[in-house]
Amino acid sequence: MFILKTAFKPWFCVSLVLFLVAATFAQQEPQSTSSAATEFVQQILSKGGLPSAVAVTFQNVSSLSPDAQESLQNTMFNAFRNANVRLVKPEQAVVEVQITFSEDWQGYVWIANIQQGSTRQLVIKKLPRQQRVQNARTLTLTIHKIPVWQQETQILDFFQDNQNLILLEPEQISLYTSDSGQWRLRHTLGIPHEFSWPRDLRGRLEIHGNEMNAFLPGVRCNGRISSPSLDCRASDDPWPLDPGLVAFYSPRRNFFSGLLAGQNAGASVPAFFSGVSWQNSDQRMWIFTGTDGRVRLFQNTLASPAAMFNGWGSTLASVHSGCGSGWQLLTSSPADTTRPDSVQAIEVNGHDAAPVSSPVDMSGSVEALWTAGNYDQVVNGVLHSQSGKYEAFTLAVICNQ
Amino acid sequence: MKPLLLRLFVISSLIALAVTAHGSSRPRYGGTVRILLHDKVMFLDPLSDEDHPAARDRMAALTFETLTTIDAQGRVQPALASQWHADANKRSWQFRLRLANFHDGAVLTAADVAASLAKSNPAWKYSAPDRQTVAIETPYPVQRMPEILALLRYAIVKRQTDSTGSPLLVGTGSYKLTQWQTGERAQFTANEDYWGGRPFADTIEFQMNASLRDQFMDRQLGPYAATELSVDQLRAIEQSNQTIALSQPSDLLALVFLQPDSGGRSAKKPIDPRVREALTLAMNRAAISNVLLQRKGIPASGLLPQWLTGYEFMFDGAQNLNRARELRADAAAFIVINPITLAYDFSDPMAKLVAERIAVDAREAGIMVQPYAESHINSKTARAYLNADAVLLRVPLQSANPSIALSAYIDDLGLSQENIPAILGSTRPEDLLEPERKMLDGFRVLPVAHIPQALWLNTNVHNWQQQATGEWQLDQLWIEGAR
Repeated sequence: MFILKTAFKPWFCVSLVLFLVAATFAQQEPQSTSSAATEFVQQILSKGGLPSAVAVTFQNVSSLSPDAQESLQNTMFNAFRNANVRLVKPEQAVVEVQITFSEDWQGYVWIANIQQGSTRQLVIKKLPRQQRVQNARTLTLTIHKIPVWQQETQILDFFQDNQNLILLEPEQISLYTSDSGQWRLRHTLGIPHEFSWPRDLRGRLEIHGNEMNAFLPGVRCNGRISSPSLDCRASDDPWPLDPGLVAFYSPRRNFFSGLLAGQNAGASVPAFFSGVSWQNSDQRMWIFTGTDGRVRLFQNTLASPAAMFNGWGSTLASVHSGCGSGWQLLTSSPADTTRPDSVQAIEVNGHDAAPVSSPVDMSGSVEALWTAGNYDQVVNGVLHSQSGKYEAFTLAVICNQ
Repeated sequence: MKPLLLRLFVISSLIALAVTAHGSSRPRYGGTVRILLHDKVMFLDPLSDEDHPAARDRMAALTFETLTTIDAQGRVQPALASQWHADANKRSWQFRLRLANFHDGAVLTAADVAASLAKSNPAWKYSAPDRQTVAIETPYPVQRMPEILALLRYAIVKRQTDSTGSPLLVGTGSYKLTQWQTGERAQFTANEDYWGGRPFADTIEFQMNASLRDQFMDRQLGPYAATELSVDQLRAIEQSNQTIALSQPSDLLALVFLQPDSGGRSAKKPIDPRVREALTLAMNRAAISNVLLQRKGIPASGLLPQWLTGYEFMFDGAQNLNRARELRADAAAFIVINPITLAYDFSDPMAKLVAERIAVDAREAGIMVQPYAESHINSKTARAYLNADAVLLRVPLQSANPSIALSAYIDDLGLSQENIPAILGSTRPEDLLEPERKMLDGFRVLPVAHIPQALWLNTNVHNWQQQATGEWQLDQLWIEGAR
């Protein structure tokens, strides 16, 4: 039972800039203020017995600005006129209407007090507040957040290309296909699991052509995209984190145990939440966000950290932007219960790490960041937004020069 | 009015951020979270008639669960029930249970749920059509049944007796009660088999009846994760740059006239309605909020706060001493006006100040109010035996849904139940305004202020979720420094 709120289809085959320009976010707009005002006026007239002449007064007890209030008043005046109602002075009116612009914790509340002789009636209409949109542009890089998909239920990871949008969710994998610029649900594939999922559930989706692999705590699934199928089994197989980095995940917790696999098989680092690896000229680099709150940088060897940093968030991904030194990390902000989350680009030079972009406000909690499997210039992420919805998004970085 | 509302909005916005914002550091497992509670709790049963039900509910919510829950945005979400539906007239509801276990290992069944809900509200009928489905039938339409069942008084509790015959309460929640010293201390341990995943902290400990003033003076707060604050303590703590979490101004501070013929109280003559109206007109609510409550409270003219409904401003709460004197004189022409005895909570220094201020305001209108401290004014049973004419109550907002919150006030304030069907059957805000107006019309309840719930938080505490109503949601809580 998924609620489709937004759908967006980026075309990765064109250049990144064109991709960003072309990207559209076909959001289903909430009811416009104008149509809400018209509907409100119609409700007033209906309650008032469709009077021919009305006296209307306004008061504002909300945070609505004077300009917005005036604009709204004019919209309502027009709605009365369009309904063939004359706006008159109180002494000439059949019905007197006092409209108050109020608000509650969730949005605006419009209240009409309708006085007709000794009879008084009320009409109350609630409207959600518009959410603000933020962006950032400074320093070496600019980070663009491109919403991909939004739904009520949790998303763990996702993949998208021109034809497919694949969502890894706690209980299923949902396959969407492109249909006239909209994603249409084609198939859902259940993920059976014997034990309850741990809290702060995480998962990883890996796509190679028609093959897909899903990694969840203690469970691994293999399947196919065309002729959809999925086979899940209890498994402690290591998860792919980043190109060249594979690690074992604690099946009853929310972190990687620190034991690495793949080309680093046998090596271990302190338990971590997130890890990345990249090649910078002749140096192999790894960074891990430890469960102890410390971020460890390793250079060429995993024997001991070359540097440690504090104050980072625990979720990060690498991005090959080509700007600056070529590689950057996109990292979430450290825990702070008074601010929404943000993502910032950080560049590692030697043993130092410095921010190279402004933090981009994410208006929610960043649940996951992964370097997109098919494009290492972009990072896929999942956000638990302040509205309570889950959002799959892509972060693309643009050089400022 | 407008500056006040703007201030309210600014406060609300800040709180909304604190409530809904998340940091991005992943939660860490382990550790013990120690919490200081101001009040004593004698029984953990959500249906017990407690002196301090809000404190009880803070602990009970860890171990007992409801069928549904309300999220930070005020929307209903599944909890022990995974889905539900109702018939067209909203009198017959069915809830499908998820697979969950009680702390004693027994599987939760529909029969357990029906038995528990029957204790919570005997006026409705419950049945179990199958092992995983609970059916509820009501004598009148209930539009917001899922929201009602999110109230902790509808928590699913298996009530048993132990080998000594003492009551034993078993829940399904994310924490198990492992130690209980009545009125002093409680310890809850992570439920490893919880259906929603083991919680992050190993243990949560509550120390009750704590004096924060002493703790601050002794600089002993270091080991604690959080402690409740009263409004008068906020300024000093804000100045010391500590972390404070404030809810919306959610609690209702109200003067409630006691029915003369209720319970076992000695029969006293009811206070004349004109005197009651005169008293509400005499109150300077702005002064109470601005001075005594240090601008953290909001003057109350209705039962439900403006931030929740958007229409509280339509109730008049302005001071009008001339009209108050007229009403008093009108009453005095027919009856002898005796002093009004006003009981307040002896453990709440703020209540004493407000009660004394009301007495000063009343005197301006020629009405004598005699405040005095009482130890058990919040318990409905104890209140029935009070000799006071009125009590000054601080009543928590039970729900972020206005209709549920209003119906809960009827119960908490001892008002007539006749408005309940209209309130629970309401589908539009307009339908709720009139019942609220009726509840205030007789001047039995005089709203004074809406007050936020305040909390000091240690900087190593994360995911402390305080709902708009002030309710705590601690199941995502974690602390730094744990393993």
